Amino acid sequence: MNNNIPVPQVETDVLAAMSRPGYAWLTGFGLAGLLFVGALALWAYQIQHGMGVAGIMHPVGWGVYIANFVFWVGIAHSGTLISAVLYIFRARFRTSFNRSAEAMTIFALMVAGLFPLIHLGRVWRFYYLFPYPNQRQLWVNFRSPLVWDVFAVSTYFMVSLVFFYVGLMPDLAIVARHRGGWAGRLYRVLSLGWSGSLREWRHYDRLYMFLAAFATPLVASVHSIVSWDFAVSIIPGWHTTIFAPYFVAGAIFSGTAMVLTLVIPMRRVLHLEHLISIDHIESIAKILLLTSLIVGFSYIVEHGMAFYGNNLFEMEQFRFRAMGHYSLLFWIMITCNAILPLLLFVQRLRRNLIFLFVLGLLVNVGMWLERFVIVVCSLARDFDPYNWGNYSPSLVEIGITVGSFGLFFAAFLVFVKTLPVLSITELKER
Amino acid sequence: MDRRKFLQIMGLVSGTTLLSSCGSESNQKELISYLVPPEDGVRPGTAAWRVSTCSECPAHCGIKIRLREGRAVKLEGNPSHPINRGALCMRGQAALWRLYHPERLRTPLLRQGNGYQAVSWEDALDHIVRAMSEASAQQRTNMLLSGSTTGSLAALQERFAEACPVTRLPEFEYFSHAALRQAYQLLYGRPVLPQYRIEDADLLITVGADLLETFVSPAGYTRQLATARHDHDLHWRHIEPHLSLTGANADQRLSIQPASEAILLLWLLQTLADSRRYVGQLPPQLRTALPEISLDRAVQATGLTTSRLRDLANSLEKARRPLLIVGGIATAHGAGQQTALFGGLLQWLLTAPWQGLDFTQAERPERIGDLRDLQQLSDTLRGGAVGVLLISRADPLRHAPGDWKFADNLRRAGLSVAMADIPDATTRAVDLVLPLTHGFERWDDVEPRFGLHSLIQPALAPLHETRSEGDILLQLQQRLTGHSESGNYETFLQQRWRKQFSASARHNFFQHGHVVTAPAVTDASLRIAQTAVVLKQISLPTPLSTPVAVISGSIRSFDGRSAALPLLGEIPDPLTTITHGTWIALSPHTAKQLGVSDSAELRLTSGGFDLAQPARLQPGLPDGVFSLPVDSLISGPPGIDPATGEALRVIGSVKAERTGKQLPLPILSGSPSQQGRGIIPKPIHRDKNHHAEHRALYPEPAYRQYRWAMAIDLQQCVGCGACVASCYVENSVPVVGRRDHLKGREMSWLRIEPFYDDQGQVSFIPMLCQHCGFAPCEPVCPVYAAYHNPEGLNVQVYNRCVGTRYCSNNCPYKVRRFNWWQHEWAPPLDKMHNPDLQKRTKGMMEKCTFCIQRIRAAHEAAAKENRPIRDGEVIPACAQSCPTGAITFGNRLDPDAAVTRIIKSPRTYRVFEGLGTEPAVYYLRPN
Repeated sequence: MNNNIPVPQVETDVLAAMSRPGYAWLTGFGLAGLLFVGALALWAYQIQHGMGVAGIMHPVGWGVYIANFVFWVGIAHSGTLISAVLYIFRARFRTSFNRSAEAMTIFALMVAGLFPLIHLGRVWRFYYLFPYPNQRQLWVNFRSPLVWDVFAVSTYFMVSLVFFYVGLMPDLAIVARHRGGWAGRLYRVLSLGWSGSLREWRHYDRLYMFLAAFATPLVASVHSIVSWDFAVSIIPGWHTTIFAPYFVAGAIFSGTAMVLTLVIPMRRVLHLEHLISIDHIESIAKILLLTSLIVGFSYIVEHGMAFYGNNLFEMEQFRFRAMGHYSLLFWIMITCNAILPLLLFVQRLRRNLIFLFVLGLLVNVGMWLERFVIVVCSLARDFDPYNWGNYSPSLVEIGITVGSFGLFFAAFLVFVKTLPVLSITELKER
Repeated sequence: MDRRKFLQIMGLVSGTTLLSSCGSESNQKELISYLVPPEDGVRPGTAAWRVSTCSECPAHCGIKIRLREGRAVKLEGNPSHPINRGALCMRGQAALWRLYHPERLRTPLLRQGNGYQAVSWEDALDHIVRAMSEASAQQRTNMLLSGSTTGSLAALQERFAEACPVTRLPEFEYFSHAALRQAYQLLYGRPVLPQYRIEDADLLITVGADLLETFVSPAGYTRQLATARHDHDLHWRHIEPHLSLTGANADQRLSIQPASEAILLLWLLQTLADSRRYVGQLPPQLRTALPEISLDRAVQATGLTTSRLRDLANSLEKARRPLLIVGGIATAHGAGQQTALFGGLLQWLLTAPWQGLDFTQAERPERIGDLRDLQQLSDTLRGGAVGVLLISRADPLRHAPGDWKFADNLRRAGLSVAMADIPDATTRAVDLVLPLTHGFERWDDVEPRFGLHSLIQPALAPLHETRSEGDILLQLQQRLTGHSESGNYETFLQQRWRKQFSASARHNFFQHGHVVTAPAVTDASLRIAQTAVVLKQISLPTPLSTPVAVISGSIRSFDGRSAALPLLGEIPDPLTTITHGTWIALSPHTAKQLGVSDSAELRLTSGGFDLAQPARLQPGLPDGVFSLPVDSLISGPPGIDPATGEALRVIGSVKAERTGKQLPLPILSGSPSQQGRGIIPKPIHRDKNHHAEHRALYPEPAYRQYRWAMAIDLQQCVGCGACVASCYVENSVPVVGRRDHLKGREMSWLRIEPFYDDQGQVSFIPMLCQHCGFAPCEPVCPVYAAYHNPEGLNVQVYNRCVGTRYCSNNCPYKVRRFNWWQHEWAPPLDKMHNPDLQKRTKGMMEKCTFCIQRIRAAHEAAAKENRPIRDGEVIPACAQSCPTGAITFGNRLDPDAAVTRIIKSPRTYRVFEGLGTEPAVYYLRPN
């Protein structure tokens, strides 16, 4: 598709994006960094004084922190989907997004991994969650989904990191060629002395294919396991078998939306319009539409099950979601996730960048709210009516949530200035 | 070193070692031996018990104080005490909070301008003596006003008053039962409250008397009612204008028009006196003296239907041992005198055939005055005729109506002195404050009923520079007159006890905490002539016009005296589930009319009465009645009834309006209704589907010798919250305060949930950790902090917990509590910690343990004697305190255990059985 662009120009265009940071970049990075540092300070405050500074209470023992965890793990998903699954299916438009999507995966997982720690009452004892040999002969409880989480998320992070790094190696060699001084040497070392020989390429291709195959099941497994945090419990609204596919679809949905949110401005700011074409973005929009349909269907199924199940607890839970204290959030969620994306059936809108950008943002809002609704509503109205109670996040929780976005964007901004945001070698292949 | 040298040294070393270990038996010493107990009697790790008497209210229940390392850590009801028989209410449990209250008065305080300055005892006493002498010189009277006082202290007060001289004013109690005592004075010539033989009655009708909350002896009555309900079929009807805990627990509650009780009682009296069974029993003089009243008039005044009234009269006529108790709110309004009088007559008519009243062991409030006496004092003070006013254990400032300007009048006394243990309205107004020792720090005795002497025994040395009232009076007397009864109060008591009791009685006194001497048999026959005279003059009251405000006594703060104890603030009001706050309750319908919802500020005005408090919707409350606990009043009662001297607690023609403000109110209940969830099932709920066969992939837990289980009889439970308080103290559960309660972060391990049905009938269910066989909390804990122990307990390993809170989320009963903060115990409250338990720190989950420390102690005792734990050997704190004995605990694997027998009842069910959690807490549904 981009065959009309001469190969050397691909290199220079992509590397041009890595030029010295401008005023806008510095402002953005400063702001994001500040938010992150603020969140760290709030976390320290929370550790000092206790979880009481958060808004969580009895009966809602999990609040915004766990919603954030699920949200960020979800965001991480599309990275693997775009780079691994689409690689296996030889979807060529993948090349435009895979690098940034993979970076997004890494950063989102870094952010997500913080939240289980932030929400721990005694975070200074976090290592109790790992099965390590100790003289007290204590072991973790492998029946607990939280232990599965530890393994699922850490495996996913490791595989994503290796996949990202392997895909990056030839590009690092290219960057090294263009850079002198200590930076050049650093890129050279990081590229592990990649020379681009035929033999190297043969091994590389095999490894990359293997890693892609290895990462593909993780797309399904990680968010399934995260969903089991809820599904394994007995709480009405959590205890349901639909959760694994529903969460995976939701994760890809939100991840795809985040890709749109990041790539559309990046494409413009870094002048990559000719490399990331509208056609490619439309393909992403189609994935968004498909997953939105799955998510919307899941909502219907959930409520339908409650309606037909004739289970008192379940019926009250879903009535509460739609009509109770948090109904506003619920309806925003429905609108953003299941109704607005239906507009993507219109081809003109699928190719309208501003529409897609705004939609991406709204879907992110909707998906965050979905996690909030699932986590909080279910706990706020469980079995014993005496315990019902509503939760609202405290300033500390809001601050830490905002700070997590700060960390994510700061990391992404560093990424765009230090690594090629598009896979140069793959573009050249194209 | 060569071989020889080595052998030499080895020989020397082993030889000396051997030699040094030889010795004669006489030299042997045990390292740890308590053959001779330590001098202070404190054995580390062992609990000691002292019998004593609770002084939180004038009922004076018998208690046992548990001591660990010389500190009082827990109170339990004394099972052998005739008043409470082992029961202890939440206020009694909170007595330790008074003892260790961080704001306890520690030294005498003398007013300096607007503040107070600590002074020494010598200076304080000198100050009083000087003022007393001055007053005598100026022809001003010195006066002593105390709270209810009986026993040796009353005797000492009397002698002190004679010697000094000081005028001893009638004692002050807010709940003085003045109208009742005046009625009994008229009818029997005895201004006392008799013992009601509730246990023997088959029909009990209570009119206004809140037996379970504040009426005379709540813990004792609760136990009596439970015994009666357990032993035979007691039918209990309660008649009141509002909704009280007592009314909620009666078999039938009749809502009556406010202040119309006298009419109802008169009609009943007249109907019964003419009935076939009782005809001719009421002396003709009295029958003719009774005002006539028609059924229509009674229907119209009381608001009860004709059939209801007829049914009431019929049931009274049919009952073999009917008992009527009138009091509380029914006598605290303008028609209180008539109510008490008609009630007393009807009571006589009903109980005389079977001697349902016992005047020989009557309660002893005979020296208690009423608010008229207080008003007189206020007037005397204003006249400047008072020299020194000594106020002891009473808070008249809190309870004097605002328009008396009691505080201003108090300033006109030569010197006002308050003796108290924690600050109250009176200590903030007087010139000099003397800190009193707590009942657990001194010797004393009380005589709450005629002939019943109850011992007050110290459990620990005084924590602060406090003195007992007896010592203060003796020292004042010594300074004023040059001599006193004895050197100190303790010797005074010993002399008196030696005189009063035989050696064996004294032994019993110290052993069991009480002794019963034969009270003088007094004549308690009806005084017909006097009664007839009064009856002829009596007028029929006109009922109050609605809407009305009803000021009820509080089970949590009594008359407001316990409101300062943080533990009681933490325990929800049984009906409204409000903690840490005051409120006005109103029916949902009235609320709708006024347009208010929970915690919207509501303003009530009526004449000089003006009060704004947050609203609380209360199902079951009649429309047009605003019910507020006595603590909700900012100053004293709105007025007094001049006929009886009772505080007016029912106010008519109230105007209610909302102010538009929202006041945060900690309401613990998330829903007044159980939403058809069968938590307290009606019999129809018990269908087979609720008992799904449980199949598990994991092996069933195998219990070898013990499976601890609990049975809670909801038929017996009255929702009084004594178990909650007991649990708080036993397990050192943190008291977190209002801010956290507003967020729903209460820490109680055990709570009472009230659920209302559509008719406003309430049922209570105590909810605690169910110690499930298949506990949802256990598999989800990633670190095995929640684990199932071999005896079936869900154990929480505190120091293993990392605080994911997943266990709490997954608990269908939501009984786990998370430590949101590092809970601080302001000294000396930290002395109250139960040393058998680990202190929890921030970020940990905690919950009910079935009092595992008591199970452990029983294990140790049993292991020493090489036997299994006996049934009844382990009694958790909640079961021990329960006034109704609703809670039974034991080993379910023991076929002879009480709990095993009880759970075979057809009434047995478990909460959310359909979830397959297999709880170990079995509830017996109410009939």
